[in-house]
Amino acid sequence: MSETAKHATSETTVIDADVHITVEEETVAKYMDEPYRSSITESPHPIFPSSSWDQRMGGKIDDHFSTFTSAGDLLTFQKEFDIEYPIINMFEPLGKFSQPDLAVNLMQAYNNLLFDQFLDDHDFLGLASIATQKPDKAAEELDRVGDEDQIVGVYVGTSGEYPPLGDPEYDIIFQAAEDNGLPIVYHGNGDEFMFDFPIHNRGFNNYFEVQTLGHPWQQMATMSSLIGEGVPEKFPELDFVFLESGIGWVPYMMHRMNKIYHMRRSEVPLLEKSPEEYLRDSFYFGSQPLGEPNDPAHMKQIIGMIGADNLMFATDYPHWDFDHVEELDKYLRNYFTEEEREKVLYETPAEAFNLSL
Amino acid sequence: MEEHVVATTDELSQGERKLVEIEGREIAVFYVNGEHRAYTNWCAHQSGPVCEGKLTGTSNAEFDRDSLTVDLDWCKEGEVLNCPWHGWEYDVTDGSCLSKDKVRLPSHSVKVEGDEIIITL
Ligand code: FES
Repeated sequence: MSETAKHATSETTVIDADVHITVEEETVAKYMDEPYRSSITESPHPIFPSSSWDQRMGGKIDDHFSTFTSAGDLLTFQKEFDIEYPIINMFEPLGKFSQPDLAVNLMQAYNNLLFDQFLDDHDFLGLASIATQKPDKAAEELDRVGDEDQIVGVYVGTSGEYPPLGDPEYDIIFQAAEDNGLPIVYHGNGDEFMFDFPIHNRGFNNYFEVQTLGHPWQQMATMSSLIGEGVPEKFPELDFVFLESGIGWVPYMMHRMNKIYHMRRSEVPLLEKSPEEYLRDSFYFGSQPLGEPNDPAHMKQIIGMIGADNLMFATDYPHWDFDHVEELDKYLRNYFTEEEREKVLYETPAEAFNLSL
Repeated sequence: MEEHVVATTDELSQGERKLVEIEGREIAVFYVNGEHRAYTNWCAHQSGPVCEGKLTGTSNAEFDRDSLTVDLDWCKEGEVLNCPWHGWEYDVTDGSCLSKDKVRLPSHSVKVEGDEIIITL
């Protein structure tokens, strides 16, 4: 991490909704039970699927990722980025694992590791990982870890889960999350998109194309499934957080789902109001990676459309496409009121994650 | 305000309608559940000919949080007017849109005198 200049947010309390801890396979294996542990440590074939894409282009982009593994790294990051409250997650999208029982054991291992290495000795905030392959096990896990104060949400690393994530099969997870007062946090990704999304994704020739589509497609699929299945109507106290897809896709989905809802209401009769109202009531969006319009006034319009009540700041540190606080803050300072700015940087995430800081 | 005789009662049985033109405006009179209702043939979505759409029922759903089950119900049979352009649903008994609060079909007062159905515009 390079030293960063003093910036405007040093005067402001900032919650970062998306910070990833890198966990080596051998490290998480120590928290696993047999026979799953040996599947990780002893198998001659890699159990953690790799997409083989080179995200960092032969080293042209620095690798912050593989060295960001400890509580000490997190403390350094907090200081250099002036972020009081990073909300950490264990990143690995568990949906990509072929063996459901192994995924369930990994889920428990990541959560135990989260407590053991990060939460027990520090006042960090974290998200509980779940594997969706066995919804009843995920619900049990939420009941196991969900009432710990430092657990502020449920982390779902999406990778093209089947059935899509609003399916009634997952209601038991929503029920457990709502009972534990935790929002569900969806995080797409570039690489895993190639495992489960349509086979034509295999046809892309560079990571530019994959990265452009991977995140928003997964998030759009998840959002569409949640609204289409009426999940926010079924669980009105439950909140949903979408990370790492930027925000430009949100107005598009909001308006498109409104349109389709009015044309096909009888197909989704659980819905009592327009999709936009559900989004405004219980969906939150991490800002990163903020799009880069050539005319900054266009980003002002997008931020305005989503509004300070649903937008929150996120770095996505230490991934290669992380955003510095300044990336969002320059728009907030130039175009929005101080009140709106504070909402985005602090109050809205505090509300989404039920934080009383 | 002017009264216009648009049909006789024997022209419309349950679930039927008659589309007429009055002062250049297309208006439909429906006979549903023993009542006559009149609306302008104009959909709030994109001005489609809503009064020419099908009268059907629609789905309603209830979720039981304890059992995690959804109870799907087909209801309002014959009372839901579906705009033929994109399917916006209206309750033909009061003109309200089923998917949008505050949206209603433009309605007109209807009365029956003898066997004449009269619309006041
Ligand atoms: S014009 Fe009536 S549904 Fe579109």
